Parts: sequence; C-alpha cells; structure tokens
Amino acid sequence: MKIVGVAACTSGIAHTYIAREKVMKAAQKLGYEIHMETQGTIGTENELTPEQIKEADFVLLVVDIKIGGKDRFKGKKVVEVPTNTAIKAPTKLIEAVVTKLHATA
Amino acid sequence: MKIDINNFNISQVLTKNLVSLDIQSRSKTGAIEELTDLLVAHGDVSDKQGFIDDVLLRETEGMTGLGQGVAIPHGKSKAVKNTTLAIGISKNDIAWESLDNKPVNIIILFAVKDTDANTLHIKLLQKVAILLADETFIERLHKIKTKEELIKLFEVKPEEE
Repeated sequence: MKIVGVAACTSGIAHTYIAREKVMKAAQKLGYEIHMETQGTIGTENELTPEQIKEADFVLLVVDIKIGGKDRFKGKKVVEVPTNTAIKAPTKLIEAVVTKLHATA
Repeated sequence: MKIDINNFNISQVLTKNLVSLDIQSRSKTGAIEELTDLLVAHGDVSDKQGFIDDVLLRETEGMTGLGQGVAIPHGKSKAVKNTTLAIGISKNDIAWESLDNKPVNIIILFAVKDTDANTLHIKLLQKVAILLADETFIERLHKIKTKEELIKLFEVKPEEE
C-alpha cells in the first residue's frame, strides 16, 4: 500500500506537523509507504513528487483549511479528514481507509 | 524525514525564564495569562492583552488540547516581537477542550510573530510539535521535576524515521 498526503491546519504552526508525524508513524508501523507534504506558515515542505502521487493507492488529506495544488490528485481516490482526527487516532484512521479501499476495490 | 534536525537547539528559544513549573490559575484563560506574563517579562511579547486576544481567537477555531494532559495554545500576533514558546506545568487539572475530553496539566504556548521572516524559530517550534507527536515523550514530560530537566528533555533530537 502506498499513500501520499498533505497536512495543513488553520495557523500552520503546530497541528500540521503533529498530524504529519502521527500519520507517518502509524502508516509505517502498518508497513505502508507514505509521503506527506506540509503546507504551513513557512510554506510547503516535503512537497510530493508527481511520481509519488502517481504510484499512490490513495491520497490522504489531513487538513482544516483549503490547500493548494489539489488538482494534482485528479483521478485519485482522495480521503479528507481534519487534523484532529489524525492526531487522535492515526492508526485507526489509516486502517479504516484501507479497509474501505479493499471493500470497494 | 527531510527536516534538518542537525540545527535543532531548543535553547535558542526556550530558557528557564519562559518556564513555570507551578501555574497557579485553574482556568484556561488564567493559565494563558500567566504564561503571557513570562513572555512579556522576557521581552518577546509587547502587548499582553493583544496577544492573549489572538491566542483566544485561535482557541475558537479548534481545540488545542492534544490529549494526555497537554495543550498547545498558540497565537500568531502583531504583539509578538520574537517567535518563541513558554511552557507551564500545573499541579492542578485545568479544564481545556481536548481530543480525549480530559483536562490538562501541561501548557505549551507558542508565540509567533505576525510577519516572521525568521524561519529558524518557526522551525524550532515545528520540531517541538513533532516531539509532541510522540506519546512516550509526553509521558516523560509529565515526570520532570526541574526546569533544567524540562529544557534538556526538549533538547533531544526527534527520532529519525
């Protein structure tokens, strides 16, 4: 399973980075490959590459605000949740998305 | 992790003067006020009420209690002169909107300059945020007894994964 995602919160100072860290750790523990971009107060970091997006099974948007570059995910399965969901229960979140993905596959 | 953790040195923003191990207030606003006093005394915030207003405004936009007794209120504000953080620990439970619906004892207040070109300081705050994503880090945070211990704890480099 390959995942790409974007994290972004209201002020772009803290939740963005906590959410990214939590989601990355949870996905890696589950044995998945994951790339997460952050769009914070100091701009975009860990920007996703077109290859990463192309290879991903789904896109996980952990966002509280409108993000830039959503058009990059056209044609992909996109799941969007608030940062708090990812911070509270990252493993559950990823497991739920993967289960749903398998069910609809 | 692409973040350059070699430059991580929390002592660039966090000093003993910005830490209180004995927050007196039992209310959220009172605790924010006590920590803001530290920031004002340290010369990092110029307008106390202006900063508090901006922090409380952020509070209305979504909960800042992370669970495990930790809250991270933050204000991006014109009242901030230097981007930094203040840390308060309380012996009492302080009611706070939290992901686990529980009160908090540890409050980490981020003060961010409105127009901050000094990305290094924001990077440092970012690394604090990354540390807080680690449950065992928070468990350690609850056990600290002195300000020195606390600062030392934050000086550890985030795990590279």
